[in-house]
Amino acid sequence: MFKDLDPILHSQLRLAVMSLLIGVKEAEFTFIREKTSATAGNLSVQVQKLKDAGYIDVTKQFKDNYPQTLCRITPKGVDAFEAYVKVLQEYIRK
Amino acid sequence: MEESFSPQDSLRLIQSMIVKTRSSISEDRFYFLLWGWVSFAAIVTQFILKAIIGYPRHYLVWLVVIPAVIVTIIHSSRRGGNRSVSTYIGSSMASLWTGIGISFFILSLIVSRLPNGWLDAWPFFILFYGLGTYISGRILQFRPLVIGGMINWALAIASIYVAYDYQLLLAAAAILTSYIIPGHLLKRAAN
Repeated sequence: MFKDLDPILHSQLRLAVMSLLIGVKEAEFTFIREKTSATAGNLSVQVQKLKDAGYIDVTKQFKDNYPQTLCRITPKGVDAFEAYVKVLQEYIRK
Repeated sequence: MEESFSPQDSLRLIQSMIVKTRSSISEDRFYFLLWGWVSFAAIVTQFILKAIIGYPRHYLVWLVVIPAVIVTIIHSSRRGGNRSVSTYIGSSMASLWTGIGISFFILSLIVSRLPNGWLDAWPFFILFYGLGTYISGRILQFRPLVIGGMINWALAIASIYVAYDYQLLLAAAAILTSYIIPGHLLKRAAN
């Protein structure tokens, strides 16, 4: 139905993740999970898909002996997000 | 889920997520009030010691800066440790005030080598207060800070024309308009 919409972004949870990351420098996995109210398993899968598409960077590191996963949007991700919003606006104007 | 996900739903979702990351401008209030009240108290005490009581080592009140620096470092490292997201606004504010802090330190070194020493210091300090406050106001989009910064610039000019004792009072006015009043207004804006 919405053919022109980027299928990677046109999914509720992946779009939520991208919308969170577009406004910040970087965010922890736990922050994204809290704001999207998603389960850790589902969120991991969607984050991996965004990473495979090159839309986000994921860094794993240790902080105070605890593993920490940091996500940040890439320039390619910003372009894709802007293109997606543009197409959305066209649909709504029709 | 994906089937019934309309463009309107998409836009609503994007909007709701962006609102969630908007950083609270009240985060920086603690520092404005801490430094505002510490500096204000130090300046007013120095004025009383120098102009009214006539105590020669009036400048010793500024040792109060040392505990204030320690409190700032502890508070910011605790806050940084708990933070699970870093925003551009947060890191801009941190860089700006770290830079101003370093500039104050270097300015102290420069001023101590000038022929008139500390007698010429206040216009420069007020100038830097103004700069930091003005840029903070622009970053946070909080008008009282922008106005405070501009008032400080005016006070910096005014302080060139008055004697040291009165420069202290102008500096107290600068702190009041750039840190203390906006700091309390930030609390109201946050509520």
